[in-house]
Amino acid sequence: MNEKTIQDKSELVKLKSVNELRTTMDGYFARLKEAAETGNRKIAWCTSVGPAELLYSMGFEVYFPENHGAMLGAGKNADKYIPTAVAHGYSPDICSYLTSDIGAFLQNETPLVKSGFSSVPKPDILVYNTNQCREVEDWFSFYARHFNVPILGIHTPLSIQELSPEIVKSVSDQYHRIIPDLEKVAGRKFDIDCFRESVGLSHEGCVLWKQVLQKARHLPSPINFFDSAIHMGPIVVMRGTSHAVEYYKILLAELEERIENNISAVPVERFRVYWEGMPIWYRLSSLAKLFAKLDTCIVASTYCNSWVFDDLDPANPFESSALAYSKLFIVRSDTIKEDILEQLMQEFTVHGIIYHESKTCARNSNNRFGLQNRLFKKTGIPYLEINGDLNDPRCYSEEQSIIAIETFIDQLSGQMK
Amino acid sequence: MYRLGLDLGSSYTKGVLVDENNRMTDSYCVRSGYNFNNAATKIINHFNEKYEFGYPVFTCGYGREQIQAPFVSNSELIALSRAVYEIYRSSCSIIDIGGQDTKFIQVNALGQVEKFKMNRKCAAGTGSFLEEIAFRLDVTPEEFTAFAKEATEEVRINSFCTVFAISEIIGMIKNGSTLPNIILGIYNSIILRSFELSLIVDHLVITGGLPAMHPTIVSLFKKSYPDTDSPEHSQFLAAWGCVLLNNERKSMDPIPPDPFPQQGKGE
Repeated sequence: MNEKTIQDKSELVKLKSVNELRTTMDGYFARLKEAAETGNRKIAWCTSVGPAELLYSMGFEVYFPENHGAMLGAGKNADKYIPTAVAHGYSPDICSYLTSDIGAFLQNETPLVKSGFSSVPKPDILVYNTNQCREVEDWFSFYARHFNVPILGIHTPLSIQELSPEIVKSVSDQYHRIIPDLEKVAGRKFDIDCFRESVGLSHEGCVLWKQVLQKARHLPSPINFFDSAIHMGPIVVMRGTSHAVEYYKILLAELEERIENNISAVPVERFRVYWEGMPIWYRLSSLAKLFAKLDTCIVASTYCNSWVFDDLDPANPFESSALAYSKLFIVRSDTIKEDILEQLMQEFTVHGIIYHESKTCARNSNNRFGLQNRLFKKTGIPYLEINGDLNDPRCYSEEQSIIAIETFIDQLSGQMK
Repeated sequence: MYRLGLDLGSSYTKGVLVDENNRMTDSYCVRSGYNFNNAATKIINHFNEKYEFGYPVFTCGYGREQIQAPFVSNSELIALSRAVYEIYRSSCSIIDIGGQDTKFIQVNALGQVEKFKMNRKCAAGTGSFLEEIAFRLDVTPEEFTAFAKEATEEVRINSFCTVFAISEIIGMIKNGSTLPNIILGIYNSIILRSFELSLIVDHLVITGGLPAMHPTIVSLFKKSYPDTDSPEHSQFLAAWGCVLLNNERKSMDPIPPDPFPQQGKGE
């Protein structure tokens, strides 16, 4: 219940590290911009859970269209661009990262102008991994055709139940297979030591990121999903470099300090909830405030936990990359997903789980095949399903969702009495 | 002193007066329109003529925090469940069909919400779906009910989208389907949409504005689930539940001299 006179609890205290985050991200974009303007380094476009370490090790600056897609969503501009992509034959039912990104490109607009870019950095090569979805191949193919540059793909089997040595070998072989084409564009030979170094840095960064996320196991949590969704930037775009490692050391130290001083992510933490599915980028801030007002901390999420590739091992860079990128949540069978979710829900001691069914992202909507009911039967942890979308606000009813979220928290409250 | 509960819904604002024994003494309903405060004021003024009631008022629904009178807002589904539990005192499944939402609620034996689900972001299967179709067919709710009783067979309305449902209906009329059979099909399409929300495993209670205006729909629910019931004043239950939820609030403030100086009474 909310009294009109209640003290405003939606005032969230920002993490101090946000300034360092900005500096780290600014540095990344500055390097990309320099490469785009001077040609001092080649530019590879890469999917967010693609072979970033390999590309960094070969001297590429790496650009991630998904990061750009999220920027369009968070900037509340996706619905301005999606219709243009649709007019060019891309269905409004497919990935709205793709449609907003291609739409913005066709309109010659990008939020990167704030970082001094006149347009997105032109690729010299595009490299994808289908471990997350098949859309990335079509998405990158659009740009490969447009810029007339090579496109390379790693094809990972979907719905992996048993991560067999054959699967790992197949993916590892594909890593090897794309190297000659990468060498041609990079203008340099592949160097195993550079790759080892990049994989080592990626491992270090991922372990630090995992430690950051695991700080939310503390009661009360010093960080919530809405912070993590922003602070994950470096692990997505600078994985395999020292920049991500340095940033997460700073963030981790701040969270440790918060725990010492008993500073929580939300002013009052009565309920701890797990977020399954994509962020609703265009409502990130209002949802953060809503949950804070409801004394609720979203302590963990599949999305943020997806960038923990702690299987990476510089001693076996190819095999461990293949293992790490085929082991991630999105590419696993529902049975494995259930086990991972159950484990995370226990680890973070959550009272409830919210499934965001994203209209245009089937692979990140895990409530479509009854998983939510099976998990409820197993754990007894109540769940809520919200219909929305990662980027397309036309698929989301804010009022209806607020009512559902408020009711869900009331439901948890009633059951705790 | 009476207490006032208000359910400020997307289509209608419902108000109930509740006495000291928690009984619903009187009820009043107005269209919500574009200004929830105006709708609330109409109800407050209506009751002010006959009764003395305390503040704050207890609210729920889309406009629950959009009024100027002192209020305590509640979750509509929790309020509705509380009211239904007050009547039946046992576990049950509730299907509430309102203006924009169809909701399923599983209430446990302690009266707690065990589980709930709302319709997707789509008006099919809600009151708005029916209202729009009735408007386009130029048929009143009373006529709708009367027509449904004359149906000889059901036709299937397949369209999820209200606009396409109308095109589908026009096609059926063209192909010789009778209006009573079509109307029965419309009712059944609403029922089928509501069954998508969850499995019904319990005594089924139908509430909301739509069954109140279209009682035929309750008898159609009974065909699938004989253990179905729809309490009287079902569209007022959430408003009543708001007051019940706040029973612990003892100190009732007297009516402020003029809680709506800028609105004026009788607006």
